[in-house]
Amino acid sequence: MVDRTRTKEERKLRVNILWAQVRRSWQAYALLAPIFIIMIIFVYYPPLLGLVRAFYNWAPGKDPVFVGLANFKAYFVYSESGREITNAAKLLCFNLISGVAVPFLMAELIFSIRSTSTKETYRLAMVIPMLVPGVVYLLLWRHIYDPNLGPINAFLDAFGLKYLKRDWLGDPAIALYAIMGVGFPWVSGISTLICLGGLAQMPESVFDACLMDGCTGLQRVVTIDLPLALSQVRLLIILAVINGITSIQNILILTRGGPGYATSVPALRMFLRAFTTNEYGVGSAIGVLLFISSMGLTLLISRFLRPYAE
Amino acid sequence: MSMIQAIRQRVRLRRSRRSWRGPQIGVHATIIILILISLIPVYLMLTLSFKNPLQYQHERYAISFPLRLSNYSTAWEFIYSYVWNTLLGAAVGFLGMLILSVIGGYVFARLRFPFREPLYYAIIGLMMVPWIITFVPQYVLYNSLGLVNTLWAVIMLNVASGPVFGIFLLRSFFSGIPEELYESARIDGAGHWTLIWRITLPLSLPTIATLAVLNFLWTWNSYLWPLVAITDKKWQQISVGLFLMARDLSSNSSTAQELLGGPVFAGYVIASLPMVILFFFLGKFYVEGLVESGLKV
Repeated sequence: MVDRTRTKEERKLRVNILWAQVRRSWQAYALLAPIFIIMIIFVYYPPLLGLVRAFYNWAPGKDPVFVGLANFKAYFVYSESGREITNAAKLLCFNLISGVAVPFLMAELIFSIRSTSTKETYRLAMVIPMLVPGVVYLLLWRHIYDPNLGPINAFLDAFGLKYLKRDWLGDPAIALYAIMGVGFPWVSGISTLICLGGLAQMPESVFDACLMDGCTGLQRVVTIDLPLALSQVRLLIILAVINGITSIQNILILTRGGPGYATSVPALRMFLRAFTTNEYGVGSAIGVLLFISSMGLTLLISRFLRPYAE
Repeated sequence: MSMIQAIRQRVRLRRSRRSWRGPQIGVHATIIILILISLIPVYLMLTLSFKNPLQYQHERYAISFPLRLSNYSTAWEFIYSYVWNTLLGAAVGFLGMLILSVIGGYVFARLRFPFREPLYYAIIGLMMVPWIITFVPQYVLYNSLGLVNTLWAVIMLNVASGPVFGIFLLRSFFSGIPEELYESARIDGAGHWTLIWRITLPLSLPTIATLAVLNFLWTWNSYLWPLVAITDKKWQQISVGLFLMARDLSSNSSTAQELLGGPVFAGYVIASLPMVILFFFLGKFYVEGLVESGLKV
């Protein structure tokens, strides 16, 4: 009994001290207040509203009606959902190649160059394609794939390979692969720069030790470089997964999900359901599902891929 | 010590003499070929932007003279308003976002107060929320506040969500500023306001340059948000404006041929110019900004 009152008093005292500290640092809170007011309205509120309204039937100018899981069901009942999920999975898997493996190998190539100035030149050359806005880059690729005016078909014509000519983005059998092909050979980009940053952090002594032990080439890449640059590689894997699930800008510009539903993905469906047919409820439900899956995969990856130094 | 150096030198010698020169040429060749292939879209854009319909028809892939600079003036006529809109929105948005980020970064880095860490993580945690769940309700919110179809749709998004990353970046930099500087300023009677704008800000210009480049790239490249939030041509942003330009060019030109040729690609080049200019003047910060924007999940 005595003990409990003492802890009670102690707790009271602690609360008082805390309160005094809070009052003393009123300036800090005053400085933070505008930030939090703006953020609560514009940054916290929308995702929370999305979570809640995924369970409502709502549209602009209509009162929201609670419908339980009907919106989620509506997406899975919809006939193309299976194909869309498969498409997203394919894009995600391919992102691991184009966004992680290839950039890492390119970074290794550049890293193995001994002359520092040449290395820097290559690094800069890789930035050049990134001086073009993302939308322009996609529009250029749309032109490259153009069946009548694009350079791919012109090239095939010139070399007598007419039978290989295709309507790259208009053929349902290959449109998805054409979308994957955007950015070929996938070496220039932020990913390579991030990998290079990771490799550059490795201490010189590791390489000397490596060389003395006769560990070179591919063996070194796998046993030394990859583990030491794992935090960068892991970041790229997470980015590739999130992009695979949520990015729609490329599909929207190149094919708009077509032909038919050949290149449609759930994220694109969310966008179209919300903004062309005004089914905000279904849109929000798809958004919640994609949020959960991308979050889950991110947590899984960061759980199982742990860099040594963390 | 000298022995280690000697060994190192020998290793280097061996490295440079044998077995490395051969592969190095191969590596150079591979890198150069890969880079050249990835430059093809940029090359196409540049050459096509200087062609008239005739040149487009007959010499599509080589550089052909004379260069038709008039393509650029044609394109400019159709997109200059989008360029200005985007620049104006980016500038105002960045200013607001910078003020909030600097204040937030300063408070979280230099002041001690109860609930500092929970409040900080409440902001940083927002980086984990992907656009996909925010997008639809965000539109509804902006619509009900009457921000849709004005430049404020772009500006407020930047001002409100920009500081999430800005505070993260600036806090880590501000923490590294020596306390003595603040100490002596405080003795001279400086308040928080002076400490923020007279001491913290001037010392962190490089980080702020990185933040500025990153922020600009983000605004200049954003496509989905202006696509749904701005339907009025008067306030449209450049990314969406390029599509409008292509449409207007095809409906305005006397022959459909003209559309095929230069002006569209000239418009693409014009849309790239601000990024190129930024890269030339702030090269280092540009690369840093790119890498940071990659880290921004």
